[in-house]
Amino acid sequence: MVLRKSGLAAALTLVISPSAFSSDLQINGFMNVTAGVLSNEDISADGYDDGVSFDNGTLVGLQMTQQVNDSTSATMQLISRGSDSYETEAAWAYITYTASDSTDIRMGRLRTPFFYYSDFLEVGYAYNWITPPSIVYRLGALSSLSGVDLTQRFTMGSVDASVQLYGGRFSSDVELQGDEYAIELRRAMGIVLAMSMGDFGARASYHQTNITMDIDPGGTRALDQLAAGAALAGVGDEFIPDEDKSSFYQASVNYDNGSTSVIAEWTALKHDSAVLNDDSAYMISAAQRMGDITGHLTYAATSDNLKSGMVGTVQENAELKESAIILGARFDYDAATAFKIDIQYNDEETVAGADGETGVLYTLGMSLVF
Amino acid sequence: MKIFKSVSRLALLTSIIFTATAYAEVAVIVSAANGNSALDGNTISRIFLGKTSKFPDGSQAIPVDQNEGSATRDAFNDQVLGKSASQLKAYWSRLIFTGKGTPPKESGNDADIKNLVAQNPNLIGYVDTSVVDESVKVVHKF
Repeated sequence: MVLRKSGLAAALTLVISPSAFSSDLQINGFMNVTAGVLSNEDISADGYDDGVSFDNGTLVGLQMTQQVNDSTSATMQLISRGSDSYETEAAWAYITYTASDSTDIRMGRLRTPFFYYSDFLEVGYAYNWITPPSIVYRLGALSSLSGVDLTQRFTMGSVDASVQLYGGRFSSDVELQGDEYAIELRRAMGIVLAMSMGDFGARASYHQTNITMDIDPGGTRALDQLAAGAALAGVGDEFIPDEDKSSFYQASVNYDNGSTSVIAEWTALKHDSAVLNDDSAYMISAAQRMGDITGHLTYAATSDNLKSGMVGTVQENAELKESAIILGARFDYDAATAFKIDIQYNDEETVAGADGETGVLYTLGMSLVF
Repeated sequence: MKIFKSVSRLALLTSIIFTATAYAEVAVIVSAANGNSALDGNTISRIFLGKTSKFPDGSQAIPVDQNEGSATRDAFNDQVLGKSASQLKAYWSRLIFTGKGTPPKESGNDADIKNLVAQNPNLIGYVDTSVVDESVKVVHKF
């Protein structure tokens, strides 16, 4: 915890300043150090258990941007996450082509812009929580794709607006509730509309893709067994996603006058395949800044929407309904370091179709940018 | 009489020092060759927050910041941008790590900024009014 920003920044400046000025190479970084513990193991939350863990929420990211010529730059963001044994991955690697003052085109590996906080999801310094509520921010494993996007910005009077269009694909081994699945997303595409006017902002987005998963009704993973159950009930095909369409909807409004801020965000997932349940999730959060201290309170909730008939009856075995209340505080230690504490009360009303438990997740963290 | 004189001198001196520290005025400046005359706080704030890259007359606007820790910078952040240093850092970290923007370049103190701005009609900066001369034009004062 003695990792003062100044020391790191000074060390970094020493290493990079000659090139930073001669060739326009920009290096920026961020780091989150988090310790978390659950009150009991009857619930699951963000990978924590009832022993103190530092690895789940600890990560360091380094971003390098090199201006290639007047209109083109290359960006790479490397991230090491404690939850992945600190293996380094290129979360982003893209070329930006500035077609005009108001138009950017990016090609490469991009962050999928599902949520309001998606673009800076791992830059803890940029928001008040230790991490945005995972009940809503639930597509972490699918958070990047390889493809292209186009962002067009507009200004109309005092309104700043942007439209972002993207398309691409993604394939990877993804962990869902402790099991690993090979997932392929093809023809992934989406549109994001965002606007801000003074202290107010709004964002709406739509995303869709064709999803294929390696579900094996003879396997032992949770979704394999769900598919096996479906086969017995005569609806097995519905539970094996093979280029089935999935859609994601998002809408948010936010207000921030510098001392008081509020955000409400609503999201919904809709799958043609029955192996993943349709759901909706939303949160509302308010924060009040008092000098260097910001206090905040959040309510988040999700529930599944099951399909009708026999398919829905099988889906009940995976049904989830939960809510959380997060009370937290952020302390700005200096202009690049923040300390945070979050207390999250989780009420897992229904888990895998059965009654769930309640519990509390305590997390303590430090976020810095350099 | 002698005592009276030195007391009044002391008073004068104190008032000068006091004025200089507590009432330091900040001027937002562009080059004397820049075509824009007066800019309002909102326009300046949009330029410094990267929301627009143009002056009202349509020419390119490039903001330059003073180095971190400068009193002039703190006054500018507070009174024109309405944000604390850490709020600004959070604002920029949302843009930097998405490739959507970079903060104005830190380019020195009052005198450095005045010299830079004087030479380039696309630059806009802010300085203590004491360094303003005919090479630059004051477009806003607070």
